[in-house]
Amino acid sequence: MEALKTIHPELLTLSEAQVRMLLPYFVVFGGAILTMLVGVMKSINPKWPVFILTLLTAAAGIFYSCPLIHEGSQGLFNQMMVSDPFSNFFNILFLGSALITALVSFRYLDREGLQHPEYYVLILFSALGMMLLASATDLIVVFIALEIMSLAVYILVGFRRADRRSNEAALKYFILGSAASAVLLYGAALLYGATGSLGIHPILTFIQTSPAAMTPVFTLGVWLVVLGFLFKVAAVPFHMWMPDVYEGAPAPVTGFMTTGLKAAAFATFVRVFLSLGYGRGFSGLIQTHMHDILWVCAVLTMLIGNLVALTQTNLKRMLAYSSIAHSGYILVGLVAGPLSQQGYAPVVFYLVSYAIMNIGAFAVITALASREDHGLNLHDVSGLSQRHPWLAFSLAVFLVSMAGIPTTAGFTAKYLIFASAVQAHETPLVVISVLCSAISVYYYLRVLVHMYMRDPVGAPASSRVGVWSAVAVAAMIALTFQIGVLPARMVSAVKNAVTGL
Amino acid sequence: MEWVDSHLLTTVVFLPLLWAALGLLIPNTSGESSHKFTRNWTLAGSLLTFLVSISIYGKYTPAGSEFQLREMAEWIPGLGVSYNLGIDGISLWLILLTTFLMPIAVLCSFTAIEARVKEYYFLLLALETAMLGAFVSLDVFLFYVFWEAMLIPMYFLIGIWGGKDRIYAAMKFFIYTLVGSLLMLVAIFYLAYQHQIQFGTFSAALTDLYKLQIPAGGMLTPQCLLFLAFALAFAIKVPMFPLHTWLPDAHVQAPTAGSVILAAVLLKMGGYGFIRIGFPLFPQAVAYFQIPFMILGAIAIVYGAWVAMVQPDIKKLVAYSSVSHMGYVILGLFSLNAIAATGSIYQMLNHGISTGALFLLVGMIYERRHTRQISDFGGITKVMPLFAVAFMIATLSSVALPGTNGFIGEFLILLGAWRTSPGLASISALGVVFGAVYMLWMFQRVMFGPINHAENKDLKDLNGREILTLAPLMVAIFVMGIVPNFFFEKMAPSIDRFLVHAGAQTEKNVVGGVASALPPRPKTLASLIRGIE
Repeated sequence: MEALKTIHPELLTLSEAQVRMLLPYFVVFGGAILTMLVGVMKSINPKWPVFILTLLTAAAGIFYSCPLIHEGSQGLFNQMMVSDPFSNFFNILFLGSALITALVSFRYLDREGLQHPEYYVLILFSALGMMLLASATDLIVVFIALEIMSLAVYILVGFRRADRRSNEAALKYFILGSAASAVLLYGAALLYGATGSLGIHPILTFIQTSPAAMTPVFTLGVWLVVLGFLFKVAAVPFHMWMPDVYEGAPAPVTGFMTTGLKAAAFATFVRVFLSLGYGRGFSGLIQTHMHDILWVCAVLTMLIGNLVALTQTNLKRMLAYSSIAHSGYILVGLVAGPLSQQGYAPVVFYLVSYAIMNIGAFAVITALASREDHGLNLHDVSGLSQRHPWLAFSLAVFLVSMAGIPTTAGFTAKYLIFASAVQAHETPLVVISVLCSAISVYYYLRVLVHMYMRDPVGAPASSRVGVWSAVAVAAMIALTFQIGVLPARMVSAVKNAVTGL
Repeated sequence: MEWVDSHLLTTVVFLPLLWAALGLLIPNTSGESSHKFTRNWTLAGSLLTFLVSISIYGKYTPAGSEFQLREMAEWIPGLGVSYNLGIDGISLWLILLTTFLMPIAVLCSFTAIEARVKEYYFLLLALETAMLGAFVSLDVFLFYVFWEAMLIPMYFLIGIWGGKDRIYAAMKFFIYTLVGSLLMLVAIFYLAYQHQIQFGTFSAALTDLYKLQIPAGGMLTPQCLLFLAFALAFAIKVPMFPLHTWLPDAHVQAPTAGSVILAAVLLKMGGYGFIRIGFPLFPQAVAYFQIPFMILGAIAIVYGAWVAMVQPDIKKLVAYSSVSHMGYVILGLFSLNAIAATGSIYQMLNHGISTGALFLLVGMIYERRHTRQISDFGGITKVMPLFAVAFMIATLSSVALPGTNGFIGEFLILLGAWRTSPGLASISALGVVFGAVYMLWMFQRVMFGPINHAENKDLKDLNGREILTLAPLMVAIFVMGIVPNFFFEKMAPSIDRFLVHAGAQTEKNVVGGVASALPPRPKTLASLIRGIE
């Protein structure tokens, strides 16, 4: 400690600016701890205080992140993490997604008899993990953040302890997720061996200055890291875990996973990916191989995700496969990003739009589900437009947006991704993508057919929508249309977020 | 008011949607009185839109610039996408056709639609906004947005209020149209990117894209591929043989108003797309594909007529007659001369009027008898004389009897097509004969002869509302048949410009001219025809 004081005194103190940059993380961490403490207090019924505290924590985190998206980037903790527009933009996304998830869960947990304070604490901790993940610039921090996030989510997936499907999902997710983390860690170790550093930027500098560093060890390390991320984003052929996990997890948790978790994985992917030298044009090996492999991966992900979704009759499972397919579109953006003018802006835009429509869709599904998440088959939503016109309308908006029909966020997002891919001379890839999204229209519309064009089957489930969920859904609908009709502001916000990368 | 004056197109486009949204906000009691209010409210809205659109007619001056009543606003600046509106003499008439038919479509639904009334009328007006938007867009991105937005209301109209196989038909309609238009989307990206390469900025504005030089030559050059991407979207919408199979299903299953709008306006989108985007952007590709497309048009004419002839269902017969009639439009457009192009655009309007009327009439008899099989009728003239008269007029218009609108369109198309390809024109002329056969044969079986079915003995003739629905169309059939020059006047300069863009501006093809060096354009039909001699 004494030695550190003399060699690197700046490591032991934080400047005022750095404290301000770290405030969102402190707030969320403090809020999570406080929520946990309130949760175990015997003297009060923790239900409401915990709920309110969670909302306040997430809101405060958003509040402190907002001003930071307009500021420059600032390395923290000896460049192990960074606070830049990119990370703060994602912080808002993660906290927003946590906030909505909490709103949607409140009534759901009551109904399922699962109203435990730990649920909210875990949501906050996984959000914190996501935030760290998006701001990590060191592979070890990436790994730690990934674990903070994943461990919390493993528990959330298995939160319905009495339900076998939920248990199975949690176990499956835990084992496969751990394996992926191990692969990622091994890749990081190899990279360290090859370059002598774990920092994302030092690695980049190293291979830029000494091209001889492209040893087989380095290449293997790169592939293992990429593999780990492909697993986390559930790209085909590493997607097998996802449908089961999505189906088994409690509905609001699934919503949280498809938005927050996916966005976090892709955000880090983008950061690490850039550092490995893709798109910088100095290594033919990385450039062409990575391009080809991701290209194939993107096509497979879109094709298989969409084709398998066609045959699903369970809404959650269908959305799981659709989520895989959307990963494919994002991979298209990832492949094309550095080769086009927009860079990774379309990818970030897509993640935001996808988060909005997906968390909205899962909010509706949460409201629709009967006990233990049954009653989510296609025939259960038959005639929904007559029983719950507003729920049906909301779900229809989100599904139409996922299908990429104009005036919704999903269309603008697809437009940006495909436009950048055309610019990167990836026209064949774009043609495949649009044909895949044509396939997807069929299964999204099938839900609409059931909701609007068929008569109700059997006794209607008497699902009532809580006020909190209603607020969340209404906000998501407004955002879906806002981004769809007047995207200019969001486009410039996203552009701003990726400039510092 | 001043704002409306300077944003006339925006007003016309969004008035129906706003009106419909306002209608949803007005609280009213449920039940019959509420339905009555919704109907009248929607009718008022569509009439108001029609009135406003008439002022567009007044403001458009044929001698003026290419696109008039322009409106510009930035939309997504980074991608060169703008809110860019404007009309020329061609879109002017299509807008008027849309706003003219909308009150009729509303009026014909008064008794036909009993369930989910509010949603139905909301979707009708939303559909109107989308259709009008597509006609006034001068930005391909904006055009695409409206083009796709049209699908949703139509999908619900067919899927919720349609016939027995409505879900199948709605799905087929949606997927068919969407697959075509997604490739168009890729082409739009490519065009915007090309503009950036050639001029330094992204742009999706049509007036900018008209200046692009797109490499052309063989089949696999960008120009041909781009043209095919757009053509697929438009051809499905027209629909062109062999991409027409969604149409009979959609038409037969759709509620009457849906069929009317589908036939009268939505099919015109395809032709309009060719005129506004396909031809001007890709002139060499059009020249390259001229004969194949003309052949497909001729096949559609004859094939549509043949298939129509054997249909036992009146509505399906009319649907196949649409395939045949729209074949003329394609034939005329690809003939690439002023006469055929004028005929094609006129035929688009005609088809809207006459087929619209036929679908209305079929809907009226269906409401009474709940069947559309030709064999279930016979001798209807005796019990429903007024209906028979209206049906006769619509039938004659459809078979292009001189004096009705159909004659002018088909005559001009065949005349123009003859100049390009006498062989195809002769084959297509057979379609006129077959057209007379299937329409008149159907008319005879339904209307004349003894009344074989007891149910037909006491059918009620048209009531006041139905007469009111049909009367404007009957008047239009004759007005368009007798004074076509009234319509040509406003179109002529735009058609010339269209041909210039499409690369067909030669001495032989153009009668008048845009450029002041050329003599002023003759204004009458006779001089138009004389001009080519």
